[in-house]
Amino acid sequence: MICKSTTIKDSKGLLGRLPTLKADVPEFVFIATDNARCPASEVYVKEGDHVKIGQVIGLRKGPFFEQPIHATVSGTMVGYEKHYHRSGKLVNFIKLQNDFKEEWDPSCSPRSDEEIAKLDRKGFAEILKANSSVGLGGSSFPTYVKFQTEAKIGTILVNAIECEPYITADHRIMLEEMEKIIGGIRYLQQAFDCKNAYICVKAKYTDLRQVYGAFLKRYKDEGIKLKAVGNFYPQGWEIAMIRSATGIKIPSGHLPSEFGIVDFNVSTVVGIYDSVKYNRPVTDRLISITGDGIRYPSNFKVRVGTPIRSLLERCGGYKHPEKDKILILGGPMMGASLPSDDCIVTKTVTSVIVLDAEEHKEEPCIRCGSCLLSCPAGLEPKQIMDAVKAMDKKRVKELKPMRCVECGLCTYVCTSHIHVTDYIRRAKTIAKLP
Amino acid sequence: MARMLGDVLIALAPTVVMAIVVFGLAAFRNLAISVAVMCLAEFVYVLIRNRIPYDGKKHTFKEQWKAGVSKYTINNFLAPCLSGVIFALIMPASTNPGYVIYVALIVGALVGIVIGKLVFGGTGSNIFNPAALGMVFTKLCFGSKFDYESNYYESNYFITNIATGGTPLTNLGSYTYPGVSNYVGQFAGINDYSILDLFLGRVPGMIGEVFKITILVGMIYLLFRHAIDFRVLVSYLGCYAFLMALAGIIVCNKIPTVSFGQFMGFAMFSGGVLFGAVFMFTDPVTMPIDSPSRVMYGLLGGALTVIIRIFGALPEGVAFSILLCNMMAPVLDYPAWSGREYTKKKVAVMASIVLIPAIILVLALLFAPEVKA
Ligand code: SF4
Ligand code: SF4
Repeated sequence: MICKSTTIKDSKGLLGRLPTLKADVPEFVFIATDNARCPASEVYVKEGDHVKIGQVIGLRKGPFFEQPIHATVSGTMVGYEKHYHRSGKLVNFIKLQNDFKEEWDPSCSPRSDEEIAKLDRKGFAEILKANSSVGLGGSSFPTYVKFQTEAKIGTILVNAIECEPYITADHRIMLEEMEKIIGGIRYLQQAFDCKNAYICVKAKYTDLRQVYGAFLKRYKDEGIKLKAVGNFYPQGWEIAMIRSATGIKIPSGHLPSEFGIVDFNVSTVVGIYDSVKYNRPVTDRLISITGDGIRYPSNFKVRVGTPIRSLLERCGGYKHPEKDKILILGGPMMGASLPSDDCIVTKTVTSVIVLDAEEHKEEPCIRCGSCLLSCPAGLEPKQIMDAVKAMDKKRVKELKPMRCVECGLCTYVCTSHIHVTDYIRRAKTIAKLP
Repeated sequence: MARMLGDVLIALAPTVVMAIVVFGLAAFRNLAISVAVMCLAEFVYVLIRNRIPYDGKKHTFKEQWKAGVSKYTINNFLAPCLSGVIFALIMPASTNPGYVIYVALIVGALVGIVIGKLVFGGTGSNIFNPAALGMVFTKLCFGSKFDYESNYYESNYFITNIATGGTPLTNLGSYTYPGVSNYVGQFAGINDYSILDLFLGRVPGMIGEVFKITILVGMIYLLFRHAIDFRVLVSYLGCYAFLMALAGIIVCNKIPTVSFGQFMGFAMFSGGVLFGAVFMFTDPVTMPIDSPSRVMYGLLGGALTVIIRIFGALPEGVAFSILLCNMMAPVLDYPAWSGREYTKKKVAVMASIVLIPAIILVLALLFAPEVKA
């Protein structure tokens, strides 16, 4: 099909209607020592030490920032184990044994409203940094960085679009944490001194639009509005969302704050509320376990650090255990597929998708051009792929693969079932070479 | 990919049926021969391409055969099948003497698929449209033997009031008109054909090209299924129609007996313009990949077709212009100036692709020396 393709099958079914189940806190939780953005780390506790929820047990070091590591259960530290991380890499995890007392660290004490009212942008940034709040939509980009801008902000956007197929975690948050979302937005309004806040949802989610239409009446004069944006993919991509919601087109290489816009994922907003109000880091998160390969797709509220295997069991296991499975963390379009189900829920995991492995033979590219027409970043995936195959470094650089947002559309639309996105990823590595 | 090839084959089906109904066994024979030759060539190619690599041992033919056959996919059947059908549809039903048609079909199909496609590395890597290449090759070798006439009398689908030995286009060459140049004078003959007959395909011609209704049905199906890029189709037909209209205005002024409507109808519905535009120009493999380049590609094709038709020694320009454009496709794709945006420069190039031929056309038609009777 030679055409610009912006719709993908969303496969969410009725999962968004299912209430969230509370997953039991497991006996052992695992906390990653390093993650995709922070390659090095330092751990403050040793084996046998007692820890409490919210206690800082280590420090992740990234190139530009550092992130405290928090314990998510109370209990004892029993050692290290290697498991798969969200990014698909094998990573060192701190293993904590749960004593089921649920004791909070004394540092995690709620702030009074007066205290909060005095905070300015810098104050918020410090709190968020201490609680290592990151983009929970999957970017794991530290939130406080967005608070460090000096620019005057005119619009706050909350991203609840969730354009990836299958996932419904944000949908449930929108329905279940309404008060916290509003609270978080109020803090954002205070921090950025800006009244204008939009919660962006897909136009086709009529339930959210009805619920919020009624709910937001209570907050009439606060400037919080629901904005229905398009149903296309990748609407959830920052640049696409800003364009749909405000009409501003952000050129590649610029930050939204230069245009007076900040944007947060809705689960990040809930996280911001918890950090500011209760001074707590993210210890629980909402994830969807879904996909055609799972028996009962469900939404769970899970403790960060829970092994995924136990959650899969709660979903009734695999539907067709005899078939090969593909496990994807994050959305099927952008997420990373895992080599094994031995993986841990970190706070940026939005979903686990289990698909039956299907053989798709790659056919020769027939130059149909669909990937070019569909690429939201304005790239030429087919040309990049050719340059990669030819190992032509100069040409790869000319084609600017770094602009790719890895939305996966080029693979999705390819008439010949070529994994075009994989070539673009390779092109990125080539382009980084001197 | 299989779906796209399948779609084009489905779109061709009405034309194929029409050809078999009207031209009878001859058409069926042509289709069968060319499809069989092309598929066989592709099969042999798959066998050769997937030989077991040299590893010191000797492999029996049976092992080699197995290794090759395991790599044979549905696409290795559909792609040559499609080329074969298109090739047969742009060939005449028979030749004079009759046995030449076999030679012509087999040689043409082989040259088309081997030189047009397989030597470049098979489907997806080819530079030339196999069907067009095969057709041009046969035309150059056997063109004088093409016989549009015998089937013309055999089938009662045709009207029989024109005595003719060639297609409407080949016949034009024999017309002149006092006081004007050859280029203009040839069009004195177009009044002999009714536009309706041209449209219905009741004129002698290539077995598939003549049936405009079924081609249009196929076109609508393809557009509906997004199996072809409308940019090439529209820019090709648009450029062709625009330049023909320019020519038409001049011709009608010089030859009072020719009306403008008649001229345009003749231009659009004679020969293989429509067939080429729908089924050959839109072959994605041989066209550029960026949308602006695709528009340029179509415009270039339209301009070349007009130029060949009016000035060329050959009456029919579609297959030639396809090959010429195929050669230009890598140039249009050259990374230094290709890209997805329609920049001012590119629009300027598009305009010049249309305007330069237009100027040549107008000057030549207006001022070319007259024929001395
Ligand atoms: S993955 Fe990258 S190259 Fe492919 S369509 Fe998305 S942005 Fe474009
Ligand atoms: S890579 Fe796939 S989508 Fe892109 S031009 Fe080739 S066949 Fe088409």
